[in-house]
Amino acid sequence: MALLELKQVSKSYPHAKGNIRVLNEMSLGIELGEFIAIVGPSGCGKSTLLRIINGIVPPTSGQVLYNGQQVDGINPECAMVFQSFALLPWLSVKANIELGLEARRGAPAERERLATRYIDKVGLDGFEEAYPRELSGGMRQRVGLARALAVEPAVLLMDEPFSALDALTAIGLREELLDLWQAADSPVKTIIMVTHIIEEAVELADRILVLSTGPGRLVGDIKVELQRPRDRRAEAFNSLTDRVFSLIEERA
Amino acid sequence: MEQKINMRRIIGGAVPILIVAALLALFFGFRNYVPALHGPRLSITAHQLPYYAFCSFNRMLVAYVIALVFSIAYGMMAARGRMWERIMIPAIDIAQSVPVVGFFPAAVYFFVALAHGSRLGVEIAAVFLIFTSQAWNLALGVFESIRTIPDDSREALEAFGSSGWLRFRKLMLPACVPKLVYNSILSWVAGWYFLIACEIITAGPSTYRLPGLGSFLMEAANRGRNSEMVLGLLTLLLVIVAMDLVVWQPLAVWAEKFRYEFTSGAEAERSLGMLNAIGMLGPSVYRAMRLAARPLTTLAQGLLGAIPPLDAATRERAARAARAAGYAALLTFVTLFSYATVRGLGALVRTLMAPWPAAVRQIPAATLASTIRMIAAYAISLGWTLPCALAAIHSARFKRWLSPIAEIVGSMPATALFPVIVVLVIQVTGQMNLASILLILTGMQWYLLFNLLAGASQIPAELKEFARSYRLSRWATWTKLDVPALVPSIVTGSITAWGGGWNALILSEYFVYRGQTYKVLGLGALLDAATYETGNNLMILLSLLSMVVVVVSLNRLVWRRLYNLATERYRFD
Repeated sequence: MALLELKQVSKSYPHAKGNIRVLNEMSLGIELGEFIAIVGPSGCGKSTLLRIINGIVPPTSGQVLYNGQQVDGINPECAMVFQSFALLPWLSVKANIELGLEARRGAPAERERLATRYIDKVGLDGFEEAYPRELSGGMRQRVGLARALAVEPAVLLMDEPFSALDALTAIGLREELLDLWQAADSPVKTIIMVTHIIEEAVELADRILVLSTGPGRLVGDIKVELQRPRDRRAEAFNSLTDRVFSLIEERA
Repeated sequence: MEQKINMRRIIGGAVPILIVAALLALFFGFRNYVPALHGPRLSITAHQLPYYAFCSFNRMLVAYVIALVFSIAYGMMAARGRMWERIMIPAIDIAQSVPVVGFFPAAVYFFVALAHGSRLGVEIAAVFLIFTSQAWNLALGVFESIRTIPDDSREALEAFGSSGWLRFRKLMLPACVPKLVYNSILSWVAGWYFLIACEIITAGPSTYRLPGLGSFLMEAANRGRNSEMVLGLLTLLLVIVAMDLVVWQPLAVWAEKFRYEFTSGAEAERSLGMLNAIGMLGPSVYRAMRLAARPLTTLAQGLLGAIPPLDAATRERAARAARAAGYAALLTFVTLFSYATVRGLGALVRTLMAPWPAAVRQIPAATLASTIRMIAAYAISLGWTLPCALAAIHSARFKRWLSPIAEIVGSMPATALFPVIVVLVIQVTGQMNLASILLILTGMQWYLLFNLLAGASQIPAELKEFARSYRLSRWATWTKLDVPALVPSIVTGSITAWGGGWNALILSEYFVYRGQTYKVLGLGALLDAATYETGNNLMILLSLLSMVVVVVSLNRLVWRRLYNLATERYRFD
């Protein structure tokens, strides 16, 4: 049985000229331990799909199953990393991470222990009391990542997490993300990442889901069987990138 | 060092107040040259209403046109360079902190004397008062628009070797359009508020009457003619709603074209509030409205395009002439201003040398009482607008429902309701205190609400999604996300709300109803009593000045500090 299952999920938004359908009868299953990348042209509803999995956005029709159970509302086993980081500028790094743990209702000491632990894990020690404004983009996204990891979610959802960063910073963070995920003590087993950078998808994911636009449909489901660490200059890497590219282009 | 800075700040605060005091003294000095005028008797029959509406509308239009021209010139000049900005922008701050309603009698004396005792002076004074309520935010809007023109647009035009004239026509003016339209809407709301206020004021003492909707309402309330009062209010509502539908909404849609930033959603939503409300009536009504308004947007477009291109020689000459005219105007203004200030200082000394009436001793207590009333009204305003804003942040449906209603109700000049409110409260409680607070409330709450709603729509969507995704409790969402995010809008909203409140206060502490005077202890009441009963210039001056001092010190000690804190800590970047 799949960990996460989407059954005939559709989403429409009301609009002045009738409803706009962003997602059309999407069905897919995601297994425990998979690293999934969702790619597609802008406007294909990939971010909406991620929000439906999290439960922030309810689907217009269809179901989301987690461990075979239907999920209504927010799925507490998921945690989201946002494209623009979504940090509160008036809270320190540590306070931001602890705020993400607020729903756990644990003792303050426990929240603090978790926050400190994941601040260390993402390499932010020494910056606990800094404010997001004082940090570089890459550092801010580390805070976003630490906040999500501190929840110790089974599924990590990432919405274009490295798109707002410069290319070099993004490369470094991708490697760290893989290390964190592959570590034996990592609570996060499954990652679902939305991206429009195809190389990023090929570099990181076990499976790439390709979406087409207007309305979003699944047009490709590609297993990536390259050995990790992956060489971005290898023949196999490039031919896979080309395959994903042509899948997107012929449907656009 | 510390001491030096403090001295400088005290002087920086005191000098403007002194200048305001001098000008006030000068203006009030004209009272002695003014003959008692006998205004027309106001008849309050329903078929006169179109005429009264026409009178009021005319005053608004004249004042607005002057304010528009003034603000474009002023804003562009202030944007010319650092030095201009350092003088011209604080000048607006000071001008805004004088409660204009209190200034109205002074303006009446001045302009009536200037018009050789003609009734036209009262008209000019009213236009002047409306002008002062409209010009400042327009000028600030122009200033900000020009300052925020992206450098690359500016450089692109310069790369084509374009002259000052072309720059004005193709870059500066279009850049100002969105803010000018938006601020014009606000200016008309403020203008109606003050127009009705000065018409009501003149309806009190029989001498300086202005025929208009405000005086009609006041007179109807005074004579207890309820049906005429309702008709008057309906006429006013009709004029305002028609104006909004036929002029402002189409212009607002048109102005969106001139925006530099490409933020969709929140901005567009704001300008379409009332159109949405009409849209609910049915698509055909909505289309008809848009169609009816088309000539207007075509006209605006045409006006902007009709400014002709000039050949190089004419352009040069025009530019030189414009510069010369600008300097001449500036010189004239500075000369007149210095002359008036010097004369005013003399008048101030003479006024202060006059024997002080016993009523002066009431001023400290009155200041305190008025401030307490303001605080009470402010607490009520914040008490209902903050929960509304919090609800609007997380419920799009509530926001869609609230915005158009608030826009319609908020664009009604609350001063028109003053007679109704006072009469009702006096009949129920027999005294003024509650009525006074209610009237101040009407002058405060909308500024807060609109600022808070604007702030609410600026919270990034991903932050709201974060709160939901991480299942934050309602309390944590409010205290950690919503309220801190609203702090800057609370502060700017509060500054304008207190400004509006002081104006309302002057009208709210003293009321003549059916020949009987109702008043409470307060600065507004002292001011009105001195204006209408004793005619004591010293008392008028001292009560106005106490008000200005309280306003300026609150601005400097409380609001500016909060503002700095807010922009430093509670902003998104």
